[in-house]
Amino acid sequence: MAPVSALAKYKLVFLGDQSVGKTSIITRFMYDKFDTTYQATIGIDFLSKTMYLEDRTVRLQLWDTAGQERFRSLIPSYIRDSSVAVIVYDVASRQSFLNTSKWIEEVRTERGSDVIIVLVGNKTDLVEKRQVSIEEAEAKANQLNVMFIETSAKAGFNIKALFRKIAAALPGMEAISAKQEDMVDVNLRSNNSNTSQSQAQSGGCSC
Amino acid sequence: MEKGNSDDSEIRPVSSPPPVDRFGFLKNQQNGAPQVSSQSSIPREKERIKKWRKMIGVGGIDWKHYVKRKPHVVKRRIRKGIPDCLRGLVWQFISGSRDLLLMNPGVYEQLVIYESSASEMDIIRDISRTFPSHVFFQLRHGPGQRSLYNVLKAYSVYDREVGYVQGMGFLAGLLLLYMSEEDAFWLLVALLKGAVHAPMEGLYQVGLPLVQQYLFQFESLVKEYMPKLGEHFAQEMINPTMYCSQWFITVFSYSFPFHLTLRIWDVFLHEGVKIVFKVGLALLKSRQDELVQYPFEKLLHALRNFPEDAMNPDTLLPLAYSFKVLIFFSPT
Repeated sequence: MAPVSALAKYKLVFLGDQSVGKTSIITRFMYDKFDTTYQATIGIDFLSKTMYLEDRTVRLQLWDTAGQERFRSLIPSYIRDSSVAVIVYDVASRQSFLNTSKWIEEVRTERGSDVIIVLVGNKTDLVEKRQVSIEEAEAKANQLNVMFIETSAKAGFNIKALFRKIAAALPGMEAISAKQEDMVDVNLRSNNSNTSQSQAQSGGCSC
Repeated sequence: MEKGNSDDSEIRPVSSPPPVDRFGFLKNQQNGAPQVSSQSSIPREKERIKKWRKMIGVGGIDWKHYVKRKPHVVKRRIRKGIPDCLRGLVWQFISGSRDLLLMNPGVYEQLVIYESSASEMDIIRDISRTFPSHVFFQLRHGPGQRSLYNVLKAYSVYDREVGYVQGMGFLAGLLLLYMSEEDAFWLLVALLKGAVHAPMEGLYQVGLPLVQQYLFQFESLVKEYMPKLGEHFAQEMINPTMYCSQWFITVFSYSFPFHLTLRIWDVFLHEGVKIVFKVGLALLKSRQDELVQYPFEKLLHALRNFPEDAMNPDTLLPLAYSFKVLIFFSPT
């Protein structure tokens, strides 16, 4: 069992075109399941999960977003607020891959270099329909200096690897202890401690 | 079971039909409706339908007259819920869409058959992701999905500036469960163009101006009616885009129990968008005591997952009516 002391929290925002699989990736990570009855995400969705790593435990707060261009006006504040941007495309849709440039650009504009960006090529199970090769995507990721991985939320391929990769890149322990005050969360195992939890958190947020 | 251009008549019934609730949603889905009301209320229901039929008249001939003579009776009866068998028809009367349909013969067909739209791919990507747990929309390329595509495409041609925006599919899908394609299209037009109430198109235009405006107004109303909760939201840095943009964009048709959605739509079509604010306030009010104690994560979770008893229309709607909401419309 991981120690129940301070739990570092990180916000992740999921970006990318309509129906590339942002919600599916999150659902696979959260509940290790995939089903075909997902509704399109409207606006913004929120989920969170604790991840137990070898040397520490982190709490990930995930913002899932609607992919359609029209919703972009709702998204900048979520980018500003996140330390990780996960930018997803569909390996079977060249257009969705090309559009990742716009998303990366937008994240850089909001956050500069103070952000972890991961380019994710999802739907590798669509072998016959592939329109973007792994080499091309890797080259793009190198050129833009972002991390890269291919996944299949449907097959459950590389989803854990994606989140482990993200966790490994998160600011290390020294950053956590320095920023301890606004990262502290009290004992998530017990739900009876609502009051103290809320105090700890509001104390952190208001500064 | 991929099908080509086969007729509906060729679609074979699945060996054992999946269990669905009384609205056609697969059981154990989030939209699930409670069992039909108890046996004892059936005669009352029949009585109610009789009253409604009298109010409408054959083919709707008496409706306008009745509304003029007894607007308060109409309002009261709509707030109690329109009988399900008359819902589609009454929705067309109160939204003004029936008049639009009669004034524009042949227009819908023209839009569907002859025009093409820049939004077609966007629409296709969402078709199977709109009410995926309803039997009507489940079959790939089946009649439900085809109708949904047609209505959305027709609208994206009718108003090329708005085109198709995610969320509109839920409005169209809901309407298609109660009326024909053409009727659903004109009701969508009536709503977005504002046949009897403020136009909704600003919810979907570039920059989502009306979403921004409504969320701002909703936040102010929360502060006014529930100052403690408003303050708690501010402290926890919760803003309305985090939990209620869908309430406005889909008029509660996205993730609420279907029987509640229908009751809200009855009032929404008759009285306008104010009911969306009121229901939103009522949801918060009903759980206020818990919400003010929750920290960020728990709070967001609670705001997206209201318990069953908080979503009972017979208690939620009366609470909603108790809020006075004044919405000022800035012309765009």
